[in-house]
Amino acid sequence: MRWVWFHKLASPKWFYSWSNFWALPVFCFGCLCLAIGLVWGLAFAPEDYQQGNSFRIIYIHVPVAMLAQSCYLALGVASFVFLVWQMKMAPIFIKAMAPIGAVMALIALVSGAIWGKPTWGTWWVWDARLTSVLVLFFLYMGIIALQSALDDLVLANKAAAVISVVGLINLPIIKYSVVLLETLHQGPTFTLTKKPEMPPEMWLPLLCAVIGLYSFVAGLVLWRMQSEILMREHRSSWVKQEVMENGL
Amino acid sequence: MTYFSFVRAEFLVLWRRKQDVLNALLFFVIVVVLFPIGIDSSSEFLTPAASGIIWCATVLAVLMAVDSLFKEDYRDGSLEQLVVCGLSLPLLILLKVIAQWLAVILPLLVIMPLLGEMLYLSSASLWALMVTLLVGSPSLFFMGVIGAALTVSIKQGAILVMLLILPFYLPVIIFSTLAVKAAQAGLPYSGFLAMLLAMSLLSLVLSPFMTAIAVKASVN
Repeated sequence: MRWVWFHKLASPKWFYSWSNFWALPVFCFGCLCLAIGLVWGLAFAPEDYQQGNSFRIIYIHVPVAMLAQSCYLALGVASFVFLVWQMKMAPIFIKAMAPIGAVMALIALVSGAIWGKPTWGTWWVWDARLTSVLVLFFLYMGIIALQSALDDLVLANKAAAVISVVGLINLPIIKYSVVLLETLHQGPTFTLTKKPEMPPEMWLPLLCAVIGLYSFVAGLVLWRMQSEILMREHRSSWVKQEVMENGL
Repeated sequence: MTYFSFVRAEFLVLWRRKQDVLNALLFFVIVVVLFPIGIDSSSEFLTPAASGIIWCATVLAVLMAVDSLFKEDYRDGSLEQLVVCGLSLPLLILLKVIAQWLAVILPLLVIMPLLGEMLYLSSASLWALMVTLLVGSPSLFFMGVIGAALTVSIKQGAILVMLLILPFYLPVIIFSTLAVKAAQAGLPYSGFLAMLLAMSLLSLVLSPFMTAIAVKASVN
């Protein structure tokens, strides 16, 4: 198999034209999947025998919470790649990803609180899962704050990468806090090794929403990376040509 | 310059700037005093809350102290000299942090019995608290120093260091307060101490290298 196309993605110019092609379809596919999943889950899926209709927020809460963690994992991997191999695209990815991850963590917290009120009787409990997602949100905000505080681009790239790699330690704590520690939070909905315990008409829309949100975020990130590339490479001739020919 | 002369110079600088260490200590004491005045000064509240209060104050004082670790060196150019001097930068950072740790934590431990008395701690839990401080505080310094190195070029970096590093301190605070609570209940707490020690050792291994990357990026 030829991997040339993959290696070419390390150059901003190639990445720009590649993502020009992919961003819109990925984003549209994500929107479609997400819409199907949400409408199916919120309107047509059967009621839960214990939680009634209030369980339906799962179709928002679980995808968003998964994204909040996956975004951070992607951030950490990109940071590691940047610190080791100095790839030019990695800091652009970090800059594009961090605010999206922060929003996902925030929505996960808010939707979790809304879910917690009818099922646990309280908006917030200080248990391991909730606290560690809150910490995740703080980590995202720290990365964003650090990036915007440093004027020097080289230093800002390095600094964000260092702090995201260090923050990776928090991720397994969140991931396994539901399994290992005593917590009010229910167990994970999806695992790779086991069949879900819900009936298919309940977990299929959820799967649809999860895939949709991943794809939606991928499209958003590609667009954000494109604008970041244009900003950083605005002196180079290909950007001038690109803007002259196709506009912004 | 050798490692030995570097350590000697570090201690000399710390000794000549006694006021900085004193300021951190005073800050620590004032934060502790806020709690009985602000919340409740009865022993029913203070005895169970004491370990949390002491640890919160310690964390803030450590961050204040760590934030200034590279500031002066960055301004007068000696941080750049550390990078180019040919000695191993991570090792120099390690020595610098250990010197700072000794200068801040030893006086803190000395005044701890006084504060323990003010917060109505029994002597058994005071000992547990002091051991958690001794075992857990290195990780505070090692994690904080990464943030300090990243923000050394920013004029008002202290608030940013707090924002960046405080989330990483939560596990340390959790395990230390759990240890003191176990000691207050008369239970064994060596397991929590082992966790604290593990965190300190892990950060000791990783932090100098991360800090070295950050210092190199900051001086260029």
